[in-house]
Amino acid sequence: MRGRRRDLWWTVTVAAFLTVLAFLVYPLVTVLVTSFSGDDKRFVLAANYERFFTHRYYYSSIINSLYLSTLATLGALLLGTTLAFAVARYPLPGRPFLRAAANLALLSPPFIGAYSWVVLFGRMGLVNRILGEFGWSLPTIYGWRGILLVFIVQYFPFVFLLVSAALRSVDQSIEDAALSLGSPPRRTIRTAILPILAPSLTAGGLLVFMGTMADFGTPMIIGEGLRTLPTLMYGEFMNELGGNPAMASTLGSLLILVNTVALMAQRYYAFRKAYNVVCIQPLQVKRTSRGQLLLLTVFAYAVVIVALIPALTIIISSFMPTKGPVMYAGFSLQSYQTIFFRVPRAIANTFGLTALAVVLDVFLGVLVAYLLARRRSRAHAILDSLIMLAYAIPGTVVGVGLIVVYNRPPVVLTGTWVILLVSYFIRHLPYPVRSCTAMLQQIDIRVEEASVSLGVPPFRTFVKVTIPLMFPAIISGAALAWMTTIGELSSSILLYSGPWATMSVAIFTEVFSNHFGTASALASILIVAAFVPLFLTYRVLGERGALGV
Amino acid sequence: MTRVQVQGIVKRFGDMPAIDGISLEVRPGELFTLVGPSGCGKTTLLRIIAGLLDQDAGSVLFNEDRMDEVPPYLRNIGVVFQSYAIFPHLTVGENIAYGLKARRVSPDRITAKVAEAGHLVQLEGLLDRMPSQLSGGQQQRVVLARALVIEPRLLLMDEPLSNLDAKLRVQIRSLIRAVQRELQITTIYVTHDQEEALAISDTIAVMDRGRVLQVGKPWELYLKPANRFVADFIGTMNVFRGRVEEGAAGDLRALVTGFGQRWQVPAAGAPGASISVGVRPESLALEPGANAGETWNSLTGMVTEAAYLGAVVRYEVRVADGLNVTADIHNPDFAAIRLVGDRVTLWFAASRAVLLPDQAGEA
Repeated sequence: MRGRRRDLWWTVTVAAFLTVLAFLVYPLVTVLVTSFSGDDKRFVLAANYERFFTHRYYYSSIINSLYLSTLATLGALLLGTTLAFAVARYPLPGRPFLRAAANLALLSPPFIGAYSWVVLFGRMGLVNRILGEFGWSLPTIYGWRGILLVFIVQYFPFVFLLVSAALRSVDQSIEDAALSLGSPPRRTIRTAILPILAPSLTAGGLLVFMGTMADFGTPMIIGEGLRTLPTLMYGEFMNELGGNPAMASTLGSLLILVNTVALMAQRYYAFRKAYNVVCIQPLQVKRTSRGQLLLLTVFAYAVVIVALIPALTIIISSFMPTKGPVMYAGFSLQSYQTIFFRVPRAIANTFGLTALAVVLDVFLGVLVAYLLARRRSRAHAILDSLIMLAYAIPGTVVGVGLIVVYNRPPVVLTGTWVILLVSYFIRHLPYPVRSCTAMLQQIDIRVEEASVSLGVPPFRTFVKVTIPLMFPAIISGAALAWMTTIGELSSSILLYSGPWATMSVAIFTEVFSNHFGTASALASILIVAAFVPLFLTYRVLGERGALGV
Repeated sequence: MTRVQVQGIVKRFGDMPAIDGISLEVRPGELFTLVGPSGCGKTTLLRIIAGLLDQDAGSVLFNEDRMDEVPPYLRNIGVVFQSYAIFPHLTVGENIAYGLKARRVSPDRITAKVAEAGHLVQLEGLLDRMPSQLSGGQQQRVVLARALVIEPRLLLMDEPLSNLDAKLRVQIRSLIRAVQRELQITTIYVTHDQEEALAISDTIAVMDRGRVLQVGKPWELYLKPANRFVADFIGTMNVFRGRVEEGAAGDLRALVTGFGQRWQVPAAGAPGASISVGVRPESLALEPGANAGETWNSLTGMVTEAAYLGAVVRYEVRVADGLNVTADIHNPDFAAIRLVGDRVTLWFAASRAVLLPDQAGEA
């Protein structure tokens, strides 16, 4: 409004820009620049890239990563979409359980999933030891097969959730129209339903692809030396012989490139394929033959049980007596006692840092979301893209970038807890921003204008009207940020130092020193800690929903 | 009571002028309606008066107070939005009390005033409900009470009835008018519905493409539309183009229509000038047979459509190639019914013809 251009929102815009530039853009640019520097810090055009693409040791990592992520994406799409159709369209017994279970599978960070499969099927694993008594053995779980299994099982719920939501927005009349025009059922799915789902399918596929590309913990734990881009990047950066930041940055830059290309491709495709669907009556549940129903039921439960195995294995094994990697039948709190003696700091660090990061994410996220939704300008569009960049950038790259930038004056953050907080905060800022922007787009701007016209100045209107109306989005954004921050490993493993190890780091080191019991106990706490806010969110939002807010 | 003056308001969105230099005066205590097709700028003008939008040029005055630099929350106006803009997280009572709390009115006074406002809009007993439990008509009453309870200098209403069904629309319309009369509050009302505008207003301004074409009482706009746009927008108008000839008595001149009919109409304009003449459907009488020329101001044609509506029959009569005339015959008895295909003669009294300048300039 006239004469009030430099208001509070102007300050927020500037603050948000400075934050994103300092903690995301500058580190990323530094990584890109470093990838072009030589051993003696001179600018060497593409020497590192030449070395990368001429040495099998290096280039095998990008081949492995692309290969694994592509297969994992296809597998997750197939599994997630089929399950979504089965649950949405057929009268399977226990459909609410199936939906909830697929949600729950998202709670354990992938590297914990990887570890749980090692606990079950690894060399010293429970299943292999039982089979060993009979003289049998299973093919190895380690290597690319294990990684692929974990990737698909850990990431298919993203596809399931997105496709399920999209299916709810398809009107029954679409299917009826296709069938009445003489299109057989299978052809109807292919030609009438799937095209409408295309944006959600590709969005789900993108999440799987970017997530698996960036996944550091899974290949570390179950890959047994199989090099992927993030693990090799970590190895190059943290090498005991001194480390090679230039090569690590090269790997990081390639990782950014691959993910950015995937993101752009999906955006471009989804933008062109986005249809406005008016849904009055959602797709109905179909009757089907007993045989087909049985088949679908077995399939759905098999998928969901496999998805829940990691969490169950972890929690059960945390209560078993252990000796190194070997677990014995029985009940014991030994593992919990050990962790409270050995790593109490890690537990406190994780909860403290996560809580602080989530509070900051929500605080800035709410303000930025308001700007993006209500004060749309070119500057805000740029800010939007920059914040969303955090989605596409792997934690390993953020970690390396932050270290390279903040381990020298004027600002030294390495070795402190602040650098962990910065990484957590900036990487998970998109969650509250996204949820709140989406919510604001549904809140009638006239409600705010009504408040202003009734004599309440804009900022007080924001506090008294807008924030209460955004409440569900704030809560769900916070819950998502909490869930994804609390088990964060890929940047923590680079950024922690001495006393500032987190639980995820502790799990990782416990696994590598063969203390499976303590790793399970820590992972159990993580899973429960991720679950509780999500559960509460559903409860709270359920009530709010009843108010029609 | 507040007098509102709008002086030379201009507002552009990009290169498009949304408001192209509008000046208006709203008299104290009257209900003043801005009516026009969608996109004519009526809501934009309302939002500028409310202070929710800044004009590029011009001024808004409430009595002698220039409001241009006054932010909306200090203007003390009640606004009723098309989408209601009810606060969904507050009860009905809290919604109504919202503006009073902002004015730091004492809790006792708030309770009393909320009850009074609730009574005024017939919402007693619903004050503890949440908005989601209310019907559309009840929600509309809540926002009306919420806007009135702060005793605003001015009440602004933006298409307040457009989300209601036809029956409720008439009901709430009467309520708004009754409350407005009782409180004698200056009100600016925006609608695209000409019938609603005629029914509710003291004064109407017809807008098109960012300009005001005519301001007047409802009957002035209907009976003496300033130009063709107003004539078409307010009610239905048959328009005939023709050329002025000399040789008639009194104020009347002879007019030769484009299809060869010679009429006597109150036509200002030099002989030879080209003009348009409008005749309302209800000003036309209809007889069977082709008798044109026997009386002045008549024309013959064939019925192409006949819609029997009970109190009225609406006929479409083709009088020339590409020229259809609409005629409303009220209170028709059996003998007056004509069927599609019948030859008929239409005629009208000279005094009911309206001279219509073609351009919008005469506003």
